[in-house]
Amino acid sequence: MAQERKLKITVDHDVCVGNAMCESFATNTFALNGERQSEAVNPQGDPLAQVLEAADNCPVSAITIEDAETGERLFP
Amino acid sequence: MVTAVSDDMFTDQALNDPYSYYGQLREEDPVHWNELYQLWVITRHDDLVWLTRHNELFSSAVFKNDPRPPYPTIYDSDLGLYEFVREYQSRQFIQHDRPDHLDMRKVVHGYFTPRSMEEWRPMIKDVIKDLLDEAEERGSMDVMRDFATPLPLLIIAEMMGVPKQDRPHIREVAEKLLYVGRGEPWRMQNFSEGIREMIEYVTPLVEKRIVDPEDDFISVLAQGEREGVFSRDQVISNSSLLLLAGHETTINLLCNGILSFIRNPDQYDLLRSDIEGMYVKANEECLRHDSSVKSITRIASEDVELRDKVIKKEDRIRWFISSANRDPRKFENPDQFDITRWPNPHVAFGAGIHHCLGATLVRVEGQEAFKAFAERFESLHLDTTEDQLEYQPSITFRSLKSLPITWN
Repeated sequence: MAQERKLKITVDHDVCVGNAMCESFATNTFALNGERQSEAVNPQGDPLAQVLEAADNCPVSAITIEDAETGERLFP
Repeated sequence: MVTAVSDDMFTDQALNDPYSYYGQLREEDPVHWNELYQLWVITRHDDLVWLTRHNELFSSAVFKNDPRPPYPTIYDSDLGLYEFVREYQSRQFIQHDRPDHLDMRKVVHGYFTPRSMEEWRPMIKDVIKDLLDEAEERGSMDVMRDFATPLPLLIIAEMMGVPKQDRPHIREVAEKLLYVGRGEPWRMQNFSEGIREMIEYVTPLVEKRIVDPEDDFISVLAQGEREGVFSRDQVISNSSLLLLAGHETTINLLCNGILSFIRNPDQYDLLRSDIEGMYVKANEECLRHDSSVKSITRIASEDVELRDKVIKKEDRIRWFISSANRDPRKFENPDQFDITRWPNPHVAFGAGIHHCLGATLVRVEGQEAFKAFAERFESLHLDTTEDQLEYQPSITFRSLKSLPITWN
């Protein structure tokens, strides 16, 4: 089930080590690019709880999530 | 290209100064076939990052998939012991590829998120304070024996749910397990003895947690057994893996880091001048400059072309963190210990799906340790001469044998 709230998800590529945990927790939202670093390919791809879990499981805290409309910081 | 570098990675010169040895390979022959040990030696930062992120090309199931005897050679009479070692090591989650690796890692990964590790920070600070209080009372300290060794053992014991009084025993067993990356022909005897003792020690703990789970790490692994991800043997093997991996790497980080500060007093002064602003960066530079883990192995899953060489399917590979972290293509003045370096894209924890599970914990431990030294001691000095410093004969770990210091 995709989620309604519009999210702005950022992955810091100076930090991302390609651990790919985010992809395994929110499979529709994150995917590895050609450099094998994570990209938020579809910010609406998974329910918010799943996206938050993915961000929380990033071992290097590379993921930031905001509400795209209000700018509210949702993670970290 | 043929290089003049000797293929013996266990000479005193290569062990004491891996930066010159692997640095020369990195510049002259970055994808080097080591004829002596029959393996590829990879030394450049970008190659290492590429390789670790293409896990489908390079298998981590080294013990299982490498049919060749270990290198350097072991006694023929110990080949039976080696089979036992292979079998045991193969059960560790880090010795698996996807898809199994993902299922296994997910069981343990949540325990090590940056957020959960923050919860341990106050406890870690307390342990550091107690150890440094004791050292100050004594007036002297072997950083290895009196600080770096007890610190992670106490913390891991706490996390694993291992009783505190068992720590000396765990350390003794762990010493034997460290023979995994050593060169002595008799090393399988120590290593397999360590494995047997570890199994003996961990088994009753695991059996207890299967029936009666607590909130410790062995219980997390036990949950993995209940979910059908791990077998009992795998739970036992992974418990001991975490006990070992969780402390040897930290010990080395602390010793090597303190030594770097002693050799670079200007950097120590800099840390002391702005501890809050510098301690995170300082720890990252310690991780980069003299990394705890020197090298990691893989087996090629298929033929792979890398810098006009062809790595053949089933070839052995060893990639050198200590060389990649000094690659001038990635780091300005790479041999310089510079705690202002930022960002610091070192590969001390590897990269890709096998990026070190305990990195989050080691970071908190290192940060708090260097911070505590800086808060307490105005200056640090070697209580021995440089030529007395010795390293363990390992190509896996960068481990000092001891580090006696004094302070003002």
